[in-house]
Amino acid sequence: MPALEVENLTVMLGDHTILEDVSLTVDAGEMAAIIGPNGAGKTTLLKAALGLLPSKSGVIKIFGQSIGALGSERARLGYVPQKLDLDRTIPVTVHELIKINTPRAFYKKEKVAKALAEVDAEKLLTRQIGQLSGGELQRVLIAMNLLRDPKLMFLDEPSTGIDREGERLFYDVLEHLRKNRNITVVMVSHDLSVVYRYASRVLCINRKLMCQGTPGDILSDETLERLYGHATAVYEHHDD
Amino acid sequence: MGLEYPFMQRALLAAILMGTLCPLLGVFVVVRRMSFFGDAIAHSAFTGIALGLLLGVDPSYSAVGFAVVVALGMGYLQANSRIPSDTIIGVFFSGAAAIGILLIGLLQGYRVNLFSFLFGDILTVDAGNLMVVGALLIVVGAVITVLRRPLLQIALNRDLAAAQGVPVSLMEYTLMVLLAVTVAVSIKLVGIILVTAMLIIPAAAARNVSKTLHQMFGFALVFGVFSAVVGLFGSYALNTASGPTIVLVGIALFIASLVRLPAR
Repeated sequence: MPALEVENLTVMLGDHTILEDVSLTVDAGEMAAIIGPNGAGKTTLLKAALGLLPSKSGVIKIFGQSIGALGSERARLGYVPQKLDLDRTIPVTVHELIKINTPRAFYKKEKVAKALAEVDAEKLLTRQIGQLSGGELQRVLIAMNLLRDPKLMFLDEPSTGIDREGERLFYDVLEHLRKNRNITVVMVSHDLSVVYRYASRVLCINRKLMCQGTPGDILSDETLERLYGHATAVYEHHDD
Repeated sequence: MGLEYPFMQRALLAAILMGTLCPLLGVFVVVRRMSFFGDAIAHSAFTGIALGLLLGVDPSYSAVGFAVVVALGMGYLQANSRIPSDTIIGVFFSGAAAIGILLIGLLQGYRVNLFSFLFGDILTVDAGNLMVVGALLIVVGAVITVLRRPLLQIALNRDLAAAQGVPVSLMEYTLMVLLAVTVAVSIKLVGIILVTAMLIIPAAAARNVSKTLHQMFGFALVFGVFSAVVGLFGSYALNTASGPTIVLVGIALFIASLVRLPAR
């Protein structure tokens, strides 16, 4: 059964059509990357799939069920937003952030330590959020999701503002979790080298679904030029 | 210290109640960066008072009613329009002030009465006022105890909260109504001009010295009660107006808290 099915989805914001007749499928266990130019509707697609934005028409199914029919299972959908819009001077610790955002049914203090260890962040439990680097915060958010044992996780440009080393650690952790916990990952990414290296499926969005396939198929000069409207190349990061 | 006088006993109880009530909500105001929202509510309560005096309705009721309506109006526009929050608050703030000033012009004989609302007077609270503030503290305390987690979830990230099925709009309206009622009721004690200070200053000082959110709630309550009580006795000893004295004690605490503010 596919983890995510989107059929003929149209989303409007006021008079503007943000997504038009988008249909796509992500199979269980995949790491799918949504790419496209700024304002293409990538985040809108993610939010619509999470049920955060209403759609004008179309159907979205998570493991065969609509969001409305998921009931309490909805709390098990993983989500890492583009940025945590938080005043960094507010004294919230990692433990508090996780406790506040985890449904009581899933929260156990010993599980928090274990989840943090899984993302290589066990030392961050008592640290304040404002003292974390971008990469550390993203790993903490992943750990927070792990407490709910998610089968599907949505990530919105997770490596924005993270340095190279932090980015590599983040995606290695994500890849490890995908393989070991069989979590399906759907992420918006602007970093084509990351997409090339980690994604098993690429979905190209520019209001409509422009293309989908494996990174090898999609990340060609011709497809990228069609998607972005100008020549774009994939630069792989090389470690010094 | 004047505690032999019944008015001073009532004022002390009012100070403790207000010093607890305002910072309890103030933590959410500070975390959500809603300070200006409190000012807009206070000004709309002022308009409500003027409206009440004009229509012969108890101004305490009209203040609460008008403040709640304005709070819900701002909340609705924030949720359903693409206008930035500070613009919405600015428009409502100015609108409420303009209507209030307009109404004052029609209230020649009531001006003295109206000024007591502008500046407040904790020394004049009666048993009825105390009952209202006490009941409100129980309601606010109960709501925050029950809804603390979803309210904090929304304060930290709305999308994250919504993704977990938190009814974001309902929670936000609930917080706004609690704030509106608290501001309108507290006006009697410290006045329209300074009521927002009681919401913000203890919580802001608490933020500076706390290492956890849990501590921030604790320190905010301690600072709130401390500034209200010390300010009250200070105003008695120095023969100064109680509202500004209470706020100045809070400001002194805030300045002291800056010493503990860790470098970030």
